[in-house]
Amino acid sequence: MPDESPGNDPQQIWQNQSTERYRMSLEQISQKIRRLHRQARLAALLFGALGVVLCVVFARSAWREPYAIPRAGWAILSLWTLYSAYAAYKSNWPKKSVSDASWSTSVAFYRGELEKQRDLTRDVWRRSGLTFCFLGVALIILPGLILALRTPRLLVNGVPFFAMLGIWFVMYHSMRKRKLRKLQREIDELTAMEGQS
Amino acid sequence: MEGVERIAQDPAGQDELYREAADTYAAALDRLAHAYEADPDTRRDLLQDIHLQLWRSFAQFDQRCSLRTWVYRVAHNVATSHVVRRSRIRETLVDIEELDLMHAPGHIELDAQQEQALGRLALLIQQLKPVDRQIIVSYLEGLDAGATAEITGLSAANIAMKIHRIKTVLRRWFHEGGSHAG
Repeated sequence: MPDESPGNDPQQIWQNQSTERYRMSLEQISQKIRRLHRQARLAALLFGALGVVLCVVFARSAWREPYAIPRAGWAILSLWTLYSAYAAYKSNWPKKSVSDASWSTSVAFYRGELEKQRDLTRDVWRRSGLTFCFLGVALIILPGLILALRTPRLLVNGVPFFAMLGIWFVMYHSMRKRKLRKLQREIDELTAMEGQS
Repeated sequence: MEGVERIAQDPAGQDELYREAADTYAAALDRLAHAYEADPDTRRDLLQDIHLQLWRSFAQFDQRCSLRTWVYRVAHNVATSHVVRRSRIRETLVDIEELDLMHAPGHIELDAQQEQALGRLALLIQQLKPVDRQIIVSYLEGLDAGATAEITGLSAANIAMKIHRIKTVLRRWFHEGGSHAG
């Protein structure tokens, strides 16, 4: 038997919950903004510094490498870390935007957030320059692989590594595609809902 | 309380608008944070973030919409960002139609167990996808379909249909208990 007494009204239960009448003072607001900027700057500098250190390490390896192909590999890796460090620095450095939250309608905002996530997922390979990372690694291990072809026992030792790499590659791509499909489906649903407005 | 017909072109105006919004909607914003975050510590951070972004947003407030609509939009958008960032959780979220098909928990004596009822209501809301969550929160806050439509950007007819579904789910979860679906 449905109980429709006012005490059982979800609206009343929701509105009568105990709440904290929270308000930030202007001093708290400016402190928080300063803290957020400090954290963002620190993260940007840390990523930048790490990238520069790795770039120097790889460049040093390239300098010391006697063979041309692996040397090119180390050089590509060195440039790739420099690019990654710059990208990380740029994305972490605090922006001077007025507000991170849009005041557009909630559905449009949510769709925008999903679109951003979809674009990031779709372009992660290109944005992070992973092609150059893998190319560099491939060039470095190529002479070793050629040597291993002459001694099959060494090649057999490398099989587990390449098998794992292959499995990771397949799993990564199928999960990425699945995520992209889900995101696109949700974006399409939201677009259709907005279209009815 | 309805809109303020002012534009915050100077920092003092921005501060004044924030004070007014925080004073008027403090409790509503706290409840909204409750709808988006179960963990009390993280909820506190979310509430702080909502207030911070609200203050920032008032630098560009104009009279194109009411203060209430502005406050709810910014708050929902900050909270939605919070949910989207936690994408692993987002993947398990459902919409109100799916929730209607899920097994409702047993009947509870709400008068005697208000806290438990509130906990259950919050749990129900936290399972929803952001759009349905925005609609159910607006409904629970007592906003009509028109006001909810202005906040979300959906049509009033669409909102009315969703609210009808929300009422059915709430009735089943809070008055009847049990489940009509397997």
